[in-house]
Amino acid sequence: MQPPFPAPDAITVKNLRKTYTVREGGSWRGKTREIVALDGISFSVPKGQIAGFIGPNGAGKSTAIKILSGILRPTSGEVQVNGLVPWTNRVAHVARIGVVFGQRTQLWWDLSVGEGLALLRDIYSVEPERFARNRARLADALDLGGIMDQSVRQLSLGQRMRAEIAASLIHDPDILILDEPTIGLDAPSKLAVRAFVHELCQDRGTTVLLTTHDMHDIEALAERVIVIGHGRILADSPFEDLRMTTLSERILELDFHGTPPELALPAGAVETARAPHSLTITFDPRQIPAPALVAHVGHLSGLDDLRISRPSIDEIITRFYADHAA
Amino acid sequence: MTLRPYLTAFGLQWKIGLRYRIAVIAGLVAQMWFGAVTLMAYASVYHAAPDVQAPLSLRQAMTYTWIQQSLFTLLPLGCLPAIGDAAKTGAIVYDLLRPVDMWNWWLSATLARLLGNAVPRAILLACVAGPLAMLVGLGAWSLAPPADMAAAALSLLSITLGALLSATIVMWWNILTARTLSPLGSYAVGTPLAVLLSGMLLPLPLYPDWIRPFLLAQPFAGITDIPIRIYLGTPIPGGAVTGLGLQLFWLATLTLLGRLWMRQTVNRLEVQGA
Repeated sequence: MQPPFPAPDAITVKNLRKTYTVREGGSWRGKTREIVALDGISFSVPKGQIAGFIGPNGAGKSTAIKILSGILRPTSGEVQVNGLVPWTNRVAHVARIGVVFGQRTQLWWDLSVGEGLALLRDIYSVEPERFARNRARLADALDLGGIMDQSVRQLSLGQRMRAEIAASLIHDPDILILDEPTIGLDAPSKLAVRAFVHELCQDRGTTVLLTTHDMHDIEALAERVIVIGHGRILADSPFEDLRMTTLSERILELDFHGTPPELALPAGAVETARAPHSLTITFDPRQIPAPALVAHVGHLSGLDDLRISRPSIDEIITRFYADHAA
Repeated sequence: MTLRPYLTAFGLQWKIGLRYRIAVIAGLVAQMWFGAVTLMAYASVYHAAPDVQAPLSLRQAMTYTWIQQSLFTLLPLGCLPAIGDAAKTGAIVYDLLRPVDMWNWWLSATLARLLGNAVPRAILLACVAGPLAMLVGLGAWSLAPPADMAAAALSLLSITLGALLSATIVMWWNILTARTLSPLGSYAVGTPLAVLLSGMLLPLPLYPDWIRPFLLAQPFAGITDIPIRIYLGTPIPGGAVTGLGLQLFWLATLTLLGRLWMRQTVNRLEVQGA
């Protein structure tokens, strides 16, 4: 089937709309109502990019991910992934993508990790040499050596997630879709998953679409964040840009060995908290640059220490959602 | 199109079926028990009314029961357990993410699971109820050999079709499970239908005259009843060919309609989300 428009990018989405019909009341004569999950979104992801896809629960992220995976049909709009329309070329499409749903398992509980991978080799018709190469590479990168012979039901969550990621990559997909891959993982496992995805992108040019509620995943991995809310794209930019436009303020904390003095602060800086031995000042670096503010307070008597910090990514996102009533 | 994914699905479920050895032994004991009780009931009924011309002789009724018991796990009682689990956990979306024909993929797994359960039990029970029972002097209660060579060969062909037919009916339960996202409905519908209509509860030839043609013509008769009739050499109106023909007819019909239903179900999952 001829693609409806030429797409040099790995993923191209145009005016994607999806509405669900739900029955209300549950009775025979229950009225039906339309819920708009995606209200005409457009974006594209070039080959080899890691794009973060974030938004509050119910924003439409999962719907978009399912459409891109080929398991959900949109109401209208155009999508191309690897030059294929996911829902019209399902079999050809799914052969070239890898998908991990963090809350579901694609491995077989009754089998060992190694047996599961061998099963996927047969499902995706991976040639034996390529399979051996990929298996060795993934076992090494994801530290699966010790668990290859363990049955999946015995794995810890962290081990299972590493095995899941290996399972999604055994057939060398061009595109990897990760839906909350770090959910429930401990810190070392999260770091291992992030490091692996980063390398995958760098070394093999795999395009990665990542959804997560862990903003540190986004900070560590995504060159770009697409924020979705109420079925629309609220922002699509590098993360730094989002920070600048949403919550550019910085925080200056001052410690004193006596009672903090009363301060006359320059425009753009305000005192936001006062404790027996410390002061917190919030400032906008566009109005008063950090060096100027530090120079302003640096000569205060009794000053022991000072620190400048930025709002955490969680605070930024919370503010962003609040600003957009998402 | 390559066969490998389907052979792999078959191999996996076959292995899982064989893994539960304790279940095989437990099932064997239960089926021996039910078989023995049924046999005693037949014996007293037949002896109480020696003048009645029954459609099956006592010996045939006993053999029917043994074969039926040994093939109990071949019946389409509900969906494939793996599909039931996947429906409950939502992992069923991964089945849509595989580059395979869903019908053949599930059918291979289903057939393997049925055979993996049924074949070891059938062989064991046939040995115990057949040669072993004769050796210990219970010959009158044992599984009789097939009527003749032709009956042996044709019943083997027929039971193969029966297994395929059963797997195809289980496919309907699988689709029902995928639609309702719960395996319970398939068992609620499947178990009574299969037990009653396959002849497990009472051999189909023993039902009253007027209802027998309908019982023979419905799809569940093709799983074990028709193969057993061919084995016993008891008349099927029109002969063994009619029996095999009925099996083929249902196999083709249920496959065709089932594939359409599956197509529609996958579309619905794609439209409404899993």
